[in-house]
Amino acid sequence: MLAPGEILQSLELLQNDRGYFVYAELLISTIMISLSVQNHQPFAIGDIPIVSIAEFEASVRELLMAHSRMIGLFGMDPSASPGTVIAVLANRLSSSIHLVGTTFTPTENHFASFAGEYPQTHYFECELAENHHVIPVGHPWLRPVRKQTTVLGDQPYSLYAMEGEEVHEVAVGPIHAGIIEPGHFRFQCHGEEVYHLEISLGYQHRGIEAMLLAADARQRNILCESIAGDTVIGHTMAYTLAIEALSHATVSLRTQVLRTIAEELERIAMHLAGLGGIGNDIGYAIGASSYGRLRTLVINSSALLCGSRFGRGFITPGGLRFDPADEALERIQDNLRVVQNDIAAINRVMIESTSVISRLDQTGVVTKEWARSIGMVGPAARACGIEIDTRSQFPYGTYRYTHLPLITLSTGDVFARTRMRSFEIDESLQFIFDQLENLAPGPVIGPLADMLPECGVISLVEGWRGEIAHCAFTDAAGAFTRYKIKDPSFHNWYGLALAMRSVAISDFPLINKSFDLSYAGHDL
Amino acid sequence: MDIFLNIQGLFPFLFILGISPLLVGLINKQKALLTGRIGAPLWQPYFDLLRLTRKETIYAVTASFVSRLAPVVAFAAVLISSLMLPIGYVKPILSFNGDIIVFAYLLGLARFFQILGAMDIGSSFEGMGAAREATFAVFAEPIYFFTLGSLAFISGHTSIYDIYHSIRLDNPTSLVFIIVSSISAFFLMMTECSRMPIDDPNTHLELTMIHEVMILDNSGIDLFLYQYSSFIKIMIYAIYEASFFNPFSMQNPWLGFSVFIVMLLLLTALIAWVETMIARFKMKSIPQYLLFATAIGILNLLIYTFVRQ
Repeated sequence: MLAPGEILQSLELLQNDRGYFVYAELLISTIMISLSVQNHQPFAIGDIPIVSIAEFEASVRELLMAHSRMIGLFGMDPSASPGTVIAVLANRLSSSIHLVGTTFTPTENHFASFAGEYPQTHYFECELAENHHVIPVGHPWLRPVRKQTTVLGDQPYSLYAMEGEEVHEVAVGPIHAGIIEPGHFRFQCHGEEVYHLEISLGYQHRGIEAMLLAADARQRNILCESIAGDTVIGHTMAYTLAIEALSHATVSLRTQVLRTIAEELERIAMHLAGLGGIGNDIGYAIGASSYGRLRTLVINSSALLCGSRFGRGFITPGGLRFDPADEALERIQDNLRVVQNDIAAINRVMIESTSVISRLDQTGVVTKEWARSIGMVGPAARACGIEIDTRSQFPYGTYRYTHLPLITLSTGDVFARTRMRSFEIDESLQFIFDQLENLAPGPVIGPLADMLPECGVISLVEGWRGEIAHCAFTDAAGAFTRYKIKDPSFHNWYGLALAMRSVAISDFPLINKSFDLSYAGHDL
Repeated sequence: MDIFLNIQGLFPFLFILGISPLLVGLINKQKALLTGRIGAPLWQPYFDLLRLTRKETIYAVTASFVSRLAPVVAFAAVLISSLMLPIGYVKPILSFNGDIIVFAYLLGLARFFQILGAMDIGSSFEGMGAAREATFAVFAEPIYFFTLGSLAFISGHTSIYDIYHSIRLDNPTSLVFIIVSSISAFFLMMTECSRMPIDDPNTHLELTMIHEVMILDNSGIDLFLYQYSSFIKIMIYAIYEASFFNPFSMQNPWLGFSVFIVMLLLLTALIAWVETMIARFKMKSIPQYLLFATAIGILNLLIYTFVRQ
């Protein structure tokens, strides 16, 4: 048996040559210490290997090397003291989720940071340090996640600043000129050119994770709908599927299809809002107003389906709150046909407009390598050429039976992120039409058993912004002991900061809109 | 006789003062209609101005006397320059040889004080806006001198009134000058009045603004002065453009005035169309755009040289 160090060395050698990469993966899978589960597959908490800190470091490093992406790094006990910490990593090539844990004590609270080699873990380590006082040694940029001015509990943190005679600093927010959420942006500029953008968030921190533990089942549903006001269906789906997995519930096909339709409607509506916002930010009034008008049609369809334009109060563990009437579904189809027809026209006008293209093209580029190394997700990552989509790589619900094409673009600029939205709208519309064509009859709500005791589940859902991860764990009585939420914005805010490198500061609002990230989803 | 002429000369001045908010209202209304909205009433800019007069004027704690001075000077400079513009055959109150230069630099003075006022407070946003305004002004100035200046060169006059009156329809080259000048004058108008595709007057994004960001810290009567002078500026440039079609009033004053009004309406429609259908340029490509407009202005001189041969 080789020592872990030697294995790592040989793996690095193998990785240099792409041809041997498959062997490297096989080799890794034989030596990794981790629990491997599927999306929405419940597991006993006792099955998660709790290893020594050194073995934990090695295992996580091996998983990262095998192209797994970190989706969670958190303490099992929500309190602030160091304790058992679990790392959750998802491998989209094998559609598997890996969990490995270790135990920290107030004296043994250090581990070797992965962020130097794998920048995607940088923010997770900051979050772990902030919430549980576990110190990542050698972390390149330990900064607050939600506390703005302090790191590691009490040490003051000041934002990164550039020095020089002609350098100037621009501070934007947390109160903005538009009616948007609060967040602070600090630009280090030389003239119009931005060298560095630091994003300081946390103004929306509401303590959702703690509130979820204290709440009863009905309150939890409402809380999950409020994690991010623009991803109501996405987060509620993740929560619902987690609960259903933990209580071994099965839902009817009709329920699954209607839920997926609601999810796709949310995606269409938010992508339309994004396109309208981009039109507005470049002063392209015809685009802004046309997409805005179409969005109203789509959210009105959401109201017909869910009873709320933003999808609130529709999905619940066990099924749906009510079964929408056939006339409502007919009208949704009529609405969407109008949308499908009109969106083709406005897309054509926008794509053919030279001024629009020259404004979007080559603005705010995130290269594929950057996007991969920082673990970007969702349409923003797909616009960089990364094949990542929870719907096809960790399929759930209806996506297990119906395959949605995975669209990628290669340029990673504002244009790609804009075009990605219109492509996804087209696919989602087609998907909804196909699903409504032969909607199975059946009950929409079923009984829900108690949750399994001392079990956990990882629930991945593709929200319109990207991968949403809910990690739920129960105690001996079947009540939640830990509920960890990860919004796609958690990864992608860093992508926005990278996209601003060497870009004119006047392009920031446009690039920001092209990412369209959530403050509330990040701050929780 | 002089007094009579002066009273007549008041007409363009009062016209500019009274109608300029309506011109902006017209642009906004047409923009709204083009994007399928009903839009604010035509009189909205008047209501806005009235509202501002009733508001309290607040100064930043870091503001010096410059902040108080700047809006007044800017407004006065714009007012004086508006005294120099003719409407139809009416001679303006201020008209003398060389007023073409005074006109340009009065507007330059207004801009200079606005930039000073913006930098006075020390906000990073306003400093950025001021830097942009100063940069693009450098590129916008040649457009003015190559359109009206080339006409001055061709006609041999140096007074705005005389230059416009040297354009005659019986001279076929004049028609070419009218077309060429009105194209580059339109570019100049969009730049100087902070309209699309140079600056977006409707944006709420302070990082992208040019003109709007400079007046972020102004309120009450100061904001009134800035807003009113920006309305007047649009009117000034609209007249500047419409006056190229002046020769019609030589034949018949009423025909000339009608052509003038139609031109103003066409201009508002054109601005509304451009602002609806064209996206804003990247900040770094604006100088290229302005140099392009300058090149069009230079065409006048080229055409003149070739025609004379």
